Order: sequence, then structure tokens, then C-alpha cells
Amino acid sequence: MALDRISLQVDAGEFLCIVGPSGSGKSTLLRVLAGLHRQSAGEVRIEADRPGTPLTAMVFQEHALLPWRTVRDNVTFGLENRGVARAEREARAREMLAMVGLARFARHYPHQLSGGMKQRVGIARALANDPEVLLMDEPLAALDAQTRTIMQEELLRIWATLGKTVVYVTHSLEEALLLGDRVVLLTARPGRVCQIYSVDLGRPRGLEVRGSPAYGALLETIWSRLREEVLRAIAADRGADSEPAGG
Amino acid sequence: MKAPGRWLADRWLTIGSPIALLVLWEWASATGILRAVFFPRPSTIAWHLRDLAADGTLWGHVATTLVRIAWSFSLAAVLGVAIGLAMGLWRRLREGLDPVFAVIYPIPSVLFLPLVSFLVPPGEIALVVTTAVTSFFLIAFTTTHGVTQIDRLVVEAAQHYGARGWRLFAAVLLPGALPFIFTGLRLGLGFALIVVVAVEIVSTSRGLGALLWLSWQVLKVEDMYATFFVIALLGALLSYGLVALRARLLPWVPDVGDR
Repeated sequence: MALDRISLQVDAGEFLCIVGPSGSGKSTLLRVLAGLHRQSAGEVRIEADRPGTPLTAMVFQEHALLPWRTVRDNVTFGLENRGVARAEREARAREMLAMVGLARFARHYPHQLSGGMKQRVGIARALANDPEVLLMDEPLAALDAQTRTIMQEELLRIWATLGKTVVYVTHSLEEALLLGDRVVLLTARPGRVCQIYSVDLGRPRGLEVRGSPAYGALLETIWSRLREEVLRAIAADRGADSEPAGG
Repeated sequence: MKAPGRWLADRWLTIGSPIALLVLWEWASATGILRAVFFPRPSTIAWHLRDLAADGTLWGHVATTLVRIAWSFSLAAVLGVAIGLAMGLWRRLREGLDPVFAVIYPIPSVLFLPLVSFLVPPGEIALVVTTAVTSFFLIAFTTTHGVTQIDRLVVEAAQHYGARGWRLFAAVLLPGALPFIFTGLRLGLGFALIVVVAVEIVSTSRGLGALLWLSWQVLKVEDMYATFFVIALLGALLSYGLVALRARLLPWVPDVGDR
């Protein structure tokens, strides 16, 4: 079992971050929300007031773009599958690519782009579908540190512009505190909700927030709790190694 | 666009090595190091090739062989891609057919000629079917692999964005497999040429294989080499033709698009 007794409510327009030790089922939770993974029990309810748009759209960690489609055609892929007219699809793609700063790269293929640019396309693809909830599975984890910092600022800007509800999985507490309204801490496997923290660091938020005392204090509080869970996860892994047949 | 000087600097070895070989051969035959009866000078061969082309003999054989390759290759490509895709999509089919293919595939195609002659009208049809056998297997194998190697994450993402059924096949699985299908087609085309020449040697009096064998039997060694050269040229042209086509059709494949 990856997850157990997860009960979470996300408000409309909220940026919710999920952190937890490796193997706590963060990604599984997101996949359940996306409908990519069927939970054995429980339900996911998403309030939707706009028929015809998808409930969720996912930004994958490894971008998962279709290599044989140009940047623009990757962005319009979901719209195409739903039968949206061509003119509207292309207008939407232009708008979204402009928003992520890739307007000039519409005709490029993914292999011609850097990692950061590919992930921008992944974000544009998700946004073009105008989902109720934007799901992001460690979208910046594969990028180098500098690109990641730039992308975090971009994400804040885009979120402020569109006001989307976001559920964001990350292994980085710093990232969660920079981006999130609330941070959900999951326990070691099986993942349960360990604690939910409100991030009252004001908005709009930028990188300078990292210098504030409130930020440092919150980071310290969550980290001391997360540390316990990480150690428990490591101990559990060791136990599993030495007693493969036991329980 | 690169300057021609630069282009030549990049490829002098590729262009130079066959020329060097020909010059060496010319010299060895002229001085008697190679026996001119068996290894006539390339320049002599060139004259014979010109004669063969001029009196029309060559073109008839070339046309015959090309038509046979066209039929065999089309047959192998249509069946190979169709069955390969089906095997890629359905694991059960793959598990069932894999061992059968593994056993039949390594058998030299020419050996199928008698067997095929029982099954279909002997003559031209049997020849075409025999030639198609090995190409078919190559194309089916690579196509199957083309489908199974597609990144699962990409397929999952496509499904998440609403691709189902036919859409999933046409927009994701087929394009994902295409680079491998092209490799299979290229290999299959090469093998069609190899096998058709071999079958022509054993079974008919027309086609390049027959011309080559006939020339050898009556000791027209120069004509034999001339035919040799034509077959080699044909193989290179067909292969490069498909590579060029691939670069045009699949601009998103990195190592092709960048060259």
C-alpha cells in the first residue's frame, strides 16, 4: 500500500504543495488525482463549473512530450483530442507559448530544446487545456539549479496571472515554501497526512522571501518533522533489506 | 550551407577510398600482378559496361530485376509493417509468433524457392514471394520492436491528454514506431536486392543475377564485373534513397534532422 487515509481539501485558486520522504506516495497521490492510477478505496471529487474542460492536467517530471510533434502541436494535443477547432487550438497555443516565453519556438521539435524549455512546453501543454486543477509532479527536479530558480519565479508569475488551483509535488522544502499557500507533509510509507502547514509569507512572493525570519522559522519547523519521516523511511528500507521474507 | 572545400575536407576518405582501390586494381592488372583473365582492368570493364548499356541488353535486365524488387519489397513491406504493428500492440500475438519467426527467419531465403513453388504458381510469382520472405521478417521484427520501445511515460501522458483508441494509435504509437519501421524497410530493401539476384542465378535467364551468372559461364568476365558494378550501384542508390526519404519524412528524429 502506497497511501493510507489521505483526506485533503484544496481550495479553488490555491497553490498546494506536497512534500514527504521518498516512497511516501507523493507521486502516487498525484496520479490518483490525475486518473492515471486507480485507488483501491476512497474517492476524488473535483468541483467543476465549466463543462467541456478537463478536470486535471498534469506536468510530468520528465516532461513526457511527444518527440514527433512540434512545440505547438504538443501544446494543442489535448485540445485536438477533444475536437477543439483548429483556429481556436492555435490561438490557445500562441497565448500559452507566449506566457511561458516560447513564442519563437512553436515550430521546433522537443529534441531541439533545452531541459528547461521542454518543461516550459509541458507547462504550456497543461495550461492550454484549461483544467480545473493543475497537477505538477516534481516538474523542476530534473533541471539544473539556476534554471530551476528562474522557473520557480516564472511559475509564481503564471499562477498569479491565471489563478489556477495547483497541486504541486516536490522533494524540496525551500521550493514548497516559495511557491505554496499550504504545505502538506506526508509520512513515510504508507503515506499519510502527517501535518499541514500554512505558509503565511505574504503574496506576491519572490526569492527574497528566503531572507525573512518567518521563512527560516517555518523551514526549521517543517524540516525537523520531515527529518523524522525521512529517517523512518530509511530505517524501514534497511529492515526490508535484512528481512526480505519477514513482515 | 557549407563551402564545397569544407565538404570535401570532411569526406575525402569516403570519396577517396573507392577511387584508390580502383587505381590500385587498374595498376595491378596492367602490370600482371593480377591475372587479367580473371581480374580485368577496371577501365576495360567500364568499356564493356558501356557496350552492354548501348546495345540495350543491360537495361532489359535492370528493368526485370527492378520490377521484381518492387513487387517483393511492396509485399514484404505491407505484410511486415501490418503484422509487426499487430505484434507490437498485442502481447499475446507477439508471444505466439516470436518462436515461429525465430525459427524461420535464419533460413536462407533462396531455399524457400522450391517450397514456394508448390504453394504458388512457379515462375515469376514464386520468385517474387521467395524474395519477399527475409525482407518480411526483417520489417516485421523492427516494426514490432519500434512499437514496444516507445517510452511508456510518453504513452501515458498522451492518454492523460485524451488520446484513446485510433487516436492513440495514429498520433502516438505509429509515429513512435516510425524510425524503427524505416530502419526495417531499409534493411528489407537491401535484402530484397540480395535475394532477388540469388534467385535469378538459380532459376531464370532474365534479370541482373541471370546476366551475371551467364557472363561467368561463358567466361565473359568483363561483363560479369560490369553486372557486379550495376548491382552494387543499384543497392547503394536504393539504400540512400530511403535514407533521404526518411530525413524528409521524419524531421523530428535527432540524428537525422541535424545532419
